Amino acid sequence: MSEYNICGVLIHAQQQHLEQIKQLLISQQGVEVHAVSKDGRLVVTVEDASRKQVADKIMKFHELQGVLSAAMIYQFSDEHSANNELTKSKSGEERMSA
Amino acid sequence: MSQQKMTRREFVKTNAIAATATAAGITIPGMKEVLAASEDTIRWDKAPCRFCGTGCSVLVGTQNGRIVATQGDPDAPVNRGLNCIKGYFLSKIMYGKDRLTKPLLRKTNGQYDKEGEFTEVSWDEAFDVMAEKWKAAMANDMQANKGKPADQLTSTVGMFGSGQWTVFEGYAASKLMKAGFRSNHIDPNARHCMASAVGGFIRGFGSDEPMGCYDDLEHADAFVLWGSNMAEMHPILWTRITDTRLTKPGCEVHVLSTFEHRCFDLADNGMVFTPQTDLAILNYIANYIIQNKAYNQDFIDKHTNFKKTPTDIGYGLRPEHPLEKAKTGTGGKLSDITFAEYAKSIESYTLDYAHEISGVPKENLLRLAKLYADPDKKITSLWTMGFNQHTRGVWANGLMYNVHLLTGKISQPGNGPFSLTGQPSACGTAREVGTFSHRLPADYVVNKKEHRDLAEKIWELPEGTVPGKVGYHAVLQNRMLKDGKLNAYWVMCNNNMQAAANLNEETLPGYRNPDNFIVVSDPYPTVTAMAADLILPTAMWTEKEGAYGNAERRTQFWRQQVNAPGEAKSDLWQLMEFAKRFKMEEVWPADLLAKSPEYKGKTLFNVLFENGYVNQFKKQTVMDDRGNKYANDEMDAFGFYPQKGLFEEYRRFQHEGPKKGHELADFDTYHQVRGLRWPVINGKETLWRYAEGYDPYVKKGEGIRFYGNKDGRANIITAPYEPAAESPDAEYDLWLSTGRVLEHWHSGTMTRRVPELYRAFPDAVVFMHPDDAKKRGLRRGMSARIVSRRGEIEAQVETRGRNRPPVGLVFVPWFDAGRLINKLTLDATDPLSKETDYKKCAIKILKA
Repeated sequence: MSEYNICGVLIHAQQQHLEQIKQLLISQQGVEVHAVSKDGRLVVTVEDASRKQVADKIMKFHELQGVLSAAMIYQFSDEHSANNELTKSKSGEERMSA
Repeated sequence: MSQQKMTRREFVKTNAIAATATAAGITIPGMKEVLAASEDTIRWDKAPCRFCGTGCSVLVGTQNGRIVATQGDPDAPVNRGLNCIKGYFLSKIMYGKDRLTKPLLRKTNGQYDKEGEFTEVSWDEAFDVMAEKWKAAMANDMQANKGKPADQLTSTVGMFGSGQWTVFEGYAASKLMKAGFRSNHIDPNARHCMASAVGGFIRGFGSDEPMGCYDDLEHADAFVLWGSNMAEMHPILWTRITDTRLTKPGCEVHVLSTFEHRCFDLADNGMVFTPQTDLAILNYIANYIIQNKAYNQDFIDKHTNFKKTPTDIGYGLRPEHPLEKAKTGTGGKLSDITFAEYAKSIESYTLDYAHEISGVPKENLLRLAKLYADPDKKITSLWTMGFNQHTRGVWANGLMYNVHLLTGKISQPGNGPFSLTGQPSACGTAREVGTFSHRLPADYVVNKKEHRDLAEKIWELPEGTVPGKVGYHAVLQNRMLKDGKLNAYWVMCNNNMQAAANLNEETLPGYRNPDNFIVVSDPYPTVTAMAADLILPTAMWTEKEGAYGNAERRTQFWRQQVNAPGEAKSDLWQLMEFAKRFKMEEVWPADLLAKSPEYKGKTLFNVLFENGYVNQFKKQTVMDDRGNKYANDEMDAFGFYPQKGLFEEYRRFQHEGPKKGHELADFDTYHQVRGLRWPVINGKETLWRYAEGYDPYVKKGEGIRFYGNKDGRANIITAPYEPAAESPDAEYDLWLSTGRVLEHWHSGTMTRRVPELYRAFPDAVVFMHPDDAKKRGLRRGMSARIVSRRGEIEAQVETRGRNRPPVGLVFVPWFDAGRLINKLTLDATDPLSKETDYKKCAIKILKA
């Protein structure tokens, strides 16, 4: 079963590097830039089937020349459906008996 | 891929874009309409982040009993919709594969054996064995304490707690120890991070915690970082400073550290100084202000006293250590001096001297001094472990206050010294509840009879129940375990085997001493848990209802979002349930019990928690304002609302004693708001303490009143530069500094279990200057032996990257359980605060 992972990331870039950073971002698979403000803020999403891929990309945003900050805004991961048993196995009685 | 799934993914993606755009302050047309037309199947509720002391609020998304999503809380004043990378992965810290789900006891042939193997046991068996050990220790204590008054009582029972405990847990632990087991040997891991800050506040202002708040980050014209790498450790606050620096004309950022780190990227004036010489630089600035008559005479006359403190006070080592034998002074008793005497005491701290001793170029030092002296610049000074983990940490905090007090730049928007914290509730729990060996709730202390009287009145205990002698602090606890004077020991919500200094010579021998029984409560098998005799599996973060207090005095609550796995239980449940195991006759001597005969035959649980006050809040449904219902496992277990009862009892300390200014709002309010900054009076929070117009305790016309001190004045306390406990020499020729990195938090118990974070920074490395590496035949990526007089580890050499030490100093992060840097560190402490100096010891580096 394929996973679905998405992050919404707010990047604050130095204005002189803004266009270059935008191009670098959209050249990566799964990365989209949805809006750019004049003062250097970019609304970015990163999507991938692999959580690791998503995280690696985000960690690298910090290293791009001209990136002042990369803040995480929204994260969703649907891998939970594969692991549901962990919570299901715990019965109500078990908790009440404490 | 089904159509339905596509729709759901699109919906999630639209949410991600909308949330990010909102945080950026950008409107994307059409977004709102799309979201309004769909239904979110994720239940969202607020919770403060589990990690650092910033106190960011996150929205936690739960679906089918599991946390599937998180987002920065757009309504939170602290983080305004943003999160840093650690907060971002919050949803995964509870789902590490090695979560503990059953109690584990060391056994051989079915019996407890200190040298046995960890074996799964029931909670009943775990508590049976544990209670037997506690009762044996307390029987010995009662024998030893026969006929002694309250201020001479001793105990062999101890607890090491946490600035990550919820407020309720810290309060319950403190009450169980101090009133129940009658032991003051309870200390939090916050001793390792905040004790020097506390000492500085109490000596200067007579009241703990900062006068300012995060609003200063927008109001200030200049920021000075003293021993704090905010870019990595407090990224959200750093983002706010970055915004101010880039948008406010004339704004400056000055950064002081013993090595270059990410904050230097934004610095207008970056300064790398020789370890320990921050004391000299601080005195130089004060001297510059006086020499140039840049002080605020009116403020000084109205609001300050001048004091001096004993000097040459040693390094908090064992008494037989040569450095302790050599000292000539002791303690911190203050005595009065005049302004002229103060000025005289620091006149030798000239620009030449400060430059010579610190290695910082003169022009940088002068620029910094001029900044503080400029009456038109509003300055916020910030620090974390650089000042606090310092053998003169209380002095360093105080010298910083001197600079702000001389210029009157304090308790005003944008102007003030601000001590940051590293743990989510170092302030709210450890400091405010007072889970230290010398404290009681709300700034009261155990060695004052009238304070103990107050505690005994609120707790409905006979006079003389609470012991009056200050208990063992963190470092002393490990020494006393080793020496066999602390025998029944409970470690909760921390990883002290990894965190405490001098692991080889003190911590490990203490835990493995055959006289001792060590219990560790933790969600994960940490190195501390593995060194214990009994491990108790613990519920974490949103698996329970909780409350934290952050660095700006903001108290924040959360509801239980999910269930804990297996048989894991919260610290609160563990503390309260364990109290049921003790009859009063087993913990109190007959003469004490005779004073309250109604307690005869009762259990500790009856007396401490079912006392008519805590249990008056009946079991109820926990519901948010949107009608969502939440579990509360502790309420189900005990039949009343323990979090509410404990909180409301704790508040009595803020309202019924002589000390004012720590008031919190009532329990229910906090479930509705995004936190409030205390003191909260008539529902209104306080942004700047001691300042007229902001703090309700300052009367009209007073302007400023430091009402923590009886005379309403703050203390300017002179203290000199004194050298570190251990400095490099011919053989051990490098300074070692330890600390954190962005991706990991503290000992890595949680962050090392998130695969993404682990991959980003898998193993601790030794950051060093390329010339230092070359001199030792090493290159980047090679393995090196790092050796001190106390132990050694191996780590890879890193000569590039985020941390760039000068020649003569190396930096090693401490998150890595596979490379325990605290085998090397020295357990030298500030003799006043008892906080360890993790930033300075001498080492050598060899080719592996």
